Amino acid sequence: MSKIMNTMNRRHFLKTTSGVAIAGAATLAAPSLANAAAGGKVVIVGGGVAGATTARYLKMGNPDIDVTMIEPKASYHTCFMSNEVLGGERTMGQIEVTFDGLMKMGVKVIKDHVTAIDAAKKTVTTAGGTTYGYDHCVVAPGISFVVDPFVKEGAAVFDKLPHAWQAGPQTALLRSQLEAMPDGGKVAIIAPPNPFRCPPGPYERASLIAQYFMHNKPKSKVVIIDRKDKFSKQGLFTQAWKNLYGFGTDNSIIEWRSGASTGGIDAVSAADMTIETLSGGKEKFDVINYIAPQVAGTIASIAGLTNDKGWCDVDKTTFESKVHKGIHVLGDASVATAMPKSGYSANSQGKVTAAAIINMLAGKPVGTPSYVNTCYSIAGKDYAFSVAAVYRYNAEKDVIGGVEGAGGLTPMDASAEMLRREVEFAHSWYNNICKDTWG
Amino acid sequence: MRKFMTYAFATGAVISLMGFSTAQASDAEASMLANTCNGCHGPNGVSQGPATPTIAGMNKNYLIESMTNYRDGTIRKSTVMQRIAKGYTDAEIAKMADFFSKQKFERVAMQKTDPAEVAKGQALIKDMCEGCHEKDGYTAEDYPVLAGQMLPYLRNNLMDFDSGSRSIEANPKMSDKEKRKKLRVLGELKEKGGVEAVLQFYASRK
Repeated sequence: MSKIMNTMNRRHFLKTTSGVAIAGAATLAAPSLANAAAGGKVVIVGGGVAGATTARYLKMGNPDIDVTMIEPKASYHTCFMSNEVLGGERTMGQIEVTFDGLMKMGVKVIKDHVTAIDAAKKTVTTAGGTTYGYDHCVVAPGISFVVDPFVKEGAAVFDKLPHAWQAGPQTALLRSQLEAMPDGGKVAIIAPPNPFRCPPGPYERASLIAQYFMHNKPKSKVVIIDRKDKFSKQGLFTQAWKNLYGFGTDNSIIEWRSGASTGGIDAVSAADMTIETLSGGKEKFDVINYIAPQVAGTIASIAGLTNDKGWCDVDKTTFESKVHKGIHVLGDASVATAMPKSGYSANSQGKVTAAAIINMLAGKPVGTPSYVNTCYSIAGKDYAFSVAAVYRYNAEKDVIGGVEGAGGLTPMDASAEMLRREVEFAHSWYNNICKDTWG
Repeated sequence: MRKFMTYAFATGAVISLMGFSTAQASDAEASMLANTCNGCHGPNGVSQGPATPTIAGMNKNYLIESMTNYRDGTIRKSTVMQRIAKGYTDAEIAKMADFFSKQKFERVAMQKTDPAEVAKGQALIKDMCEGCHEKDGYTAEDYPVLAGQMLPYLRNNLMDFDSGSRSIEANPKMSDKEKRKKLRVLGELKEKGGVEAVLQFYASRK
């Protein structure tokens, strides 16, 4: 089918431009240039932040580009702010976005699952049996999970011990478990090893579950069983937990156990609802949030785009794969050092990628990229903080480096008023990034 | 984070040695620089609310003033903007300001206001604010557009004028005469108990 479509495009191109002198043999030999006259064809795999932002900014930059976005879900639940759903502050509907805005801009949104990408033939094939030809393919599959060998139930474990690290039914499941749990119960959050999506996420989650317990089930506890010895925004979270949830006292709602303190996890059983650690032995929990180790979304490895660690190496100015030309990988799936795997990073990378593709299709230099990350964490009522960075590409080191003296964390001595404002800005951030991404 | 900062400084050092730090950074097109703001400020700088201000359609000089005052870190204190503004050169700020000044200020956020306060505010602005924030705060000549701006943002800023954390006295872009006038009007408005009413009036503009 793609072959037919490509042929059709070419024929159409030849027919419409045969009289133009520039259509020399060299031009015709390069497919991207051939399609450039007709705007070019981009196929996007995944309708999350990275994929949708790229789609929108491609269409805004050049409406003549034929943009197809393939996404298995009919709508998308954002991972960001899903911790507010778990804490009972927000509904599932309030983290749901549709693809209507993208479709209105002329993006062809296909509800299907991509099963193969052929980098040589420049085609994308779906479970529905359709093959799409492309000039540039954008692979934005987010993350997939690598279930630890110590988990007795294997991949089926998530039916009972939700990861809730891809928002949607998993978020709803974890929320219902928290609601069903008796007062005096105990929740475990198993926090993943680096690198993973949303580095401060597990700790914001602990905070908002603690807030829910404080008001509804005050005898309950949240125990973070970490695979690491330190974590993102640790100073700010620890201070917030002391201020809000009695952290460090006998009555603390939150307990954090470092990887070193537990000596590592030996076994997790969904059937028994137990976690066994080297130092702590076997412990029973009422709810276990198993945030498993992560790698790039499955299609990235199927398409041969991943490195030996399971993530995708890319040119950091175009996000073009270092393995396959013409395929761009961005968002959580990519190695975008030193940008974190965050929603804002994915949004920012989508704009850099869209600009690069527009220029590449037009046969122009890709231009100088600019990137930003702004990430809020809500610790409780009127209490949030952030980390921000402005980045430039550093060719010497091949990294997206933070600008000297800029960015950084909310200061530890921020006033109550500033922490309150950060909540307002976090909620504004949510509305604006969703509009900017999905329209 | 500490690791990141060390790294960032190291990067900076390398760049300065190479001698292309700011010149190269300014090569980015205006849209490339400006689009990075949209994640927080909304598409083309039009905020969906509730608090982050719309920056689309603002006066270019005012946008430059805001960014440079944020960057200074003492003239205009903030949550995240003072950290982000430090990432840009004067040339980059000028490009972004020019870009956003050419966008349309759209009033899309649903803001709740109290009709009684709005009416009270309308009566007050005629004499007190209209001299600078002309045409009910819709114009962007010389001063920021206030009509349809986010209410929590307006409240935060009035609080900051009052506390001095957004300093009128230290603002290098204002003449002494302007500073005296602003401080006098703000003082009178407070005395009359009209601050909230005026803010509600501006926020209520469609």
